[in-house]
Amino acid sequence: MTKLFPFLLLLTLPLFSRAEGVDAILTKVLTKLNSVKDYKVSATIKANIPMIKILPNEATIYFKQKDKFKVESKGITIMPKQGFTDINNFLAKKDYIAVINDTVTVGGVKTYLMSVIPNSAGGEMILAKLWIDPERSVIMKSQITTKSNGTVTTTYTYGDQVKYGLPSKMVFEIDVKKFKLPKSVASDINKSSAEKKKKIGNKGTITITLTDYQINKGLSDSIFK
Amino acid sequence: MLLKNTWNEFIKILSKPRSYLGVGALTLLIGIIIFAMKADGKSIISFVTASFEQTLTFNGHILNGYLIAFIILQMLIVHVPLLVALVTGDLIAGEAAMGTIRMLATKPISRTNIVLSKFIAGAAYTLFIIIWMGFLALFVSTALFGTGDVIVLNSDGLVILPEADVLWRFGAGFCVAFLSLLTVSSLSICLSAFAENSIGPIVATMSVIILFTIIGSLDVSVFDSIKPYLFTTHMVSWRSFFEDPVPWSTIRQSVIILVAHNVVLVAIAIIRFNKKDITS
Repeated sequence: MTKLFPFLLLLTLPLFSRAEGVDAILTKVLTKLNSVKDYKVSATIKANIPMIKILPNEATIYFKQKDKFKVESKGITIMPKQGFTDINNFLAKKDYIAVINDTVTVGGVKTYLMSVIPNSAGGEMILAKLWIDPERSVIMKSQITTKSNGTVTTTYTYGDQVKYGLPSKMVFEIDVKKFKLPKSVASDINKSSAEKKKKIGNKGTITITLTDYQINKGLSDSIFK
Repeated sequence: MLLKNTWNEFIKILSKPRSYLGVGALTLLIGIIIFAMKADGKSIISFVTASFEQTLTFNGHILNGYLIAFIILQMLIVHVPLLVALVTGDLIAGEAAMGTIRMLATKPISRTNIVLSKFIAGAAYTLFIIIWMGFLALFVSTALFGTGDVIVLNSDGLVILPEADVLWRFGAGFCVAFLSLLTVSSLSICLSAFAENSIGPIVATMSVIILFTIIGSLDVSVFDSIKPYLFTTHMVSWRSFFEDPVPWSTIRQSVIILVAHNVVLVAIAIIRFNKKDITS
């Protein structure tokens, strides 16, 4: 056994070093995100979701640490329920186990694919998969699975605000299998059952283009009331 | 002579208390809906969007006057035919019951023009009901709740229409809703030509509407061939203006069928009234 020990240690060494690497990478990402105390940004929201027809709309998004978030729009806009502040809050708690699964190229950028699993089962989050660009310390893609909202995959594109870890474009892919219309309200006597049962897709996308960031200007709490 | 007699018929409608019953009931119903929306509108809206809100959030001024106008129109279009039939079902049969039809027939106007004048007066009353409903639903609601985009739920899902694209849809929708109610008016006038008292045509009109609506809502293939020809199938055509894209061919077909119903029903009423042996 004593003869085998150095050999076993040699085998497990990459795992230890990788584990250290995971924490360092995530800490850098979090530090970058935490450098933003607040922001205000103009958003163009384009939703392409089966069962929902909506034209692209303009909105203003407000964020303030730690989790204050508000969308202001003249018309009706649709946003994903999760994806903006969830990752920041989840990583900030540091109550997780993270492992690097693979190296994947996302949008021409080499990323580490990480699985982040919460330590406690009491929270909303079940699993987060993050594709992180280690060079710029930003999340290029995320896949968050929660108990009540299913899985949402988000792809990020970065522009001028990459130094703050803030994207210029976000594409959310949403699971629409859960959408059900209330029968009493949605009944349409003019449509036959065959017409009503026509097949719809399972995935929808919401594309949010973010421009004109105003970062760390000191947003008032009253905006979020 | 036709216009003069139409005016006389309209005055007769205005002089009957039951004509104001419909307007009063409509005002009360719309008032109740607006009050309910003001008190608990958000929970009513979330009943519709609950399934979507597990994954998505809806931002913006959802509970606005346009949405409430749409809800009012959708809720009341089922009940307004009764209020219309209450007045138009009485137009010929009521005269027979009161014994004034003989005097009417002695006037220097053809029997065809008598029926046409009653039809036009009934149409004017129906138009007034629709305008009153539109005023309360649209103007009072927007005055209280403001304007905004409209969320419409149909069997295909949610359609969110921008505020700037809504008013013309209401205008067109009210026009088709008027045509639907005019068909009810024509049906009750037609039935009225066969009856000697006003209760019969009113009850018969509502019975026909209920029967056709049930046939239309039954998802049984045996009725599929007759459904497109039932006027009740096309009474909800106003709703098509709130789809995206607007199904123009479906609306055109509905308008043709509703107009055809009106022509046939008034023609039957004219033939029947011309052959009627007036003895009372």
